[in-house]
Amino acid sequence: MSLSRRDFLKVVGATAGTALVAAQPVLAAPGTTDPNEYVGMLYDATKCVGCNACTNACRQWNKTTPEIVEGLYDAPQQLSADTWTLIQLYQDGEASSFVKRQCMHCVDPACVSGCPVEALKKSAAGPVTYDPNRCIGCRYCMYTCPFHVPRFEWKEVIPEITKCTLCADRIAEGNGPACAERCPTGALIWGKRGELIADGESRLAAEPTRYINKIYGKEDVGGTGVMYLSAVAFEHLGLPKVDNTPVPEISEAIGNLFLPGIIVGGPLVLAALHSIAKRGGLDEEA
Amino acid sequence: MSALLKPFKSDQPIPKSFVPLLAFTLLAIGLAIYRLYAGLGATTNMSDHYPWGIWITVDLFLIPVAGAAFTISLISYYFGRERYHTIIRPAVLAGFLGYGVVGVLLFLDIGRWPQFYNILVPPLNVHSFLEEISICVTLYTIILVIEIAPVFLEKWGIQAKWIDRWILWIAGAGIVLSTLHQSSLGSLFLLLRYKLHPLWWTPALPVLFFLQALYTGLGMTAIATNIVWKMLNIPRDKELYRRLGQVMSLVLSLYFAVKVGDWMGSGEFATLMHPDPYVIIALLEVFLGVIVPLVILFSRLSSHSAGPFWAGVFALMGTFINRLVITWIGVAEPSPIPYMPSWIEIFITVGLLAGAFLVYGVVVRYFKLFPDPGEGHSH
Repeated sequence: MSLSRRDFLKVVGATAGTALVAAQPVLAAPGTTDPNEYVGMLYDATKCVGCNACTNACRQWNKTTPEIVEGLYDAPQQLSADTWTLIQLYQDGEASSFVKRQCMHCVDPACVSGCPVEALKKSAAGPVTYDPNRCIGCRYCMYTCPFHVPRFEWKEVIPEITKCTLCADRIAEGNGPACAERCPTGALIWGKRGELIADGESRLAAEPTRYINKIYGKEDVGGTGVMYLSAVAFEHLGLPKVDNTPVPEISEAIGNLFLPGIIVGGPLVLAALHSIAKRGGLDEEA
Repeated sequence: MSALLKPFKSDQPIPKSFVPLLAFTLLAIGLAIYRLYAGLGATTNMSDHYPWGIWITVDLFLIPVAGAAFTISLISYYFGRERYHTIIRPAVLAGFLGYGVVGVLLFLDIGRWPQFYNILVPPLNVHSFLEEISICVTLYTIILVIEIAPVFLEKWGIQAKWIDRWILWIAGAGIVLSTLHQSSLGSLFLLLRYKLHPLWWTPALPVLFFLQALYTGLGMTAIATNIVWKMLNIPRDKELYRRLGQVMSLVLSLYFAVKVGDWMGSGEFATLMHPDPYVIIALLEVFLGVIVPLVILFSRLSSHSAGPFWAGVFALMGTFINRLVITWIGVAEPSPIPYMPSWIEIFITVGLLAGAFLVYGVVVRYFKLFPDPGEGHSH
């Protein structure tokens, strides 16, 4: 991840932005379910220089173990039980972009909808939180997440699900996520989701040629807590094309329809069948 | 094998065919203990990219197969088909053993097994189909235990008349619980909207899974009764067989209509015109699992006992392909490393199934599971 001259110039430019970011709004009243009030993050891929300050901040705060890959210190390729966030590089000829990965903290998360024991929850402040004392380790969350985020401690005898917590513990004390507070270029900022969207939209309006004209996560899968601005197509950054319906919507609608339907309708149908059968109505032998 | 199923010879020594089954079962028990002690990572090939492996695929196949108990109860108790009573006991026992294997596999599959009971301890997520399935399967297993209990109680001279008296209610509860969890098994994959291949992902998943459970259960009944009657030299009940085939062809037709209708409605029908491996698998699944059984059942074979038997064999094949795709090969994962089950995963699966066959053999041999020859034909 060597810095080109152009990247260096970007760093200088972005540092000016950091000054603005330092004066961030402080938090969201807990207890709200207004998606705009959730704490979230905005990642501007065009401002990221790949310095990994964020990933180191994550390690320090969350006490995760650095991964040694083929003799390289802390060089994870993907999210893992020990790596809750990382910076990846997309390259295609001239075009290139960094991209930060971590839990998206969806407004209406598939993992929370599927978790049978409420080990995963959407907290009032915004983070999707995990309680190992509830979790039975069924891994349905890993299976359902459209962003392939939750990981499992496969090496442990009694493993936990791991993923970015949005530093819910820091948020509870009025601080921001460790990664966003450490970012030196202003590529990653945190705040109320609504204000981040407004910020992102003003950037899109101010420099329409710099960006793809979209904030990824503003509406995708019904909105995510972590949102993206980019100069290259979002699919190239591993952010899948999804529509604006929350993933759990169809599942929960069908549940609300079918389950009471079967519980009430089932016995009625059986009663009807029984009374018909008793009169020999359906039986050809009668 | 035939020695395995010889009934009422409790004075004779254990037949030789029990030995390999027992060996596989003991191996599985040993491996299962090792898995609990060593963890999932050390014993299975599941990974962050393939968080669900062969155990879940087998579970999703065994549940509709074990649904035989539910389909037979429905026809026998609620469609007034008295003659099916002769096969209720063997079907219920097979169902109970099937669910037993599923239960053990699930227990081994969950990573945090020391707190498995959380699945039934509030706070529970009312939106989670996995939670609803867990509750229904637990309750249904209790129903199956009650339904099969008389086989053992009568042997030991205990009367449980209340079971007979309340059987319509007990079986009815089992039917409602089965309808719930067989369909919810399909709903489980509704959350995989962007991961499951569009030829399989549809809001109709619960309906398709329910119908599939019905015909798979009927197919399994046809297969099992055919084998058992042959081995025990009980004369075949041809009329029962003909009826079984009729109901099966009805459900298969309905399934076919929903499946094709859904493809047309969702625009996936066009996908079928551009063959790739998924299209071929999808077509193969419907051809083997639905069209072939329907052709057999509508042909002259259907009046012969071989008809429903072979229709059942093909239907089960189709169901297996379906569950394999939906739990495994049809699910998009970005990993370049494909999943193949470890030998421990395979031997635990095989050994538990061997254990189920072993218990079945023992019960057939030492308890009265089938009526005496002629008894079932009195009406």
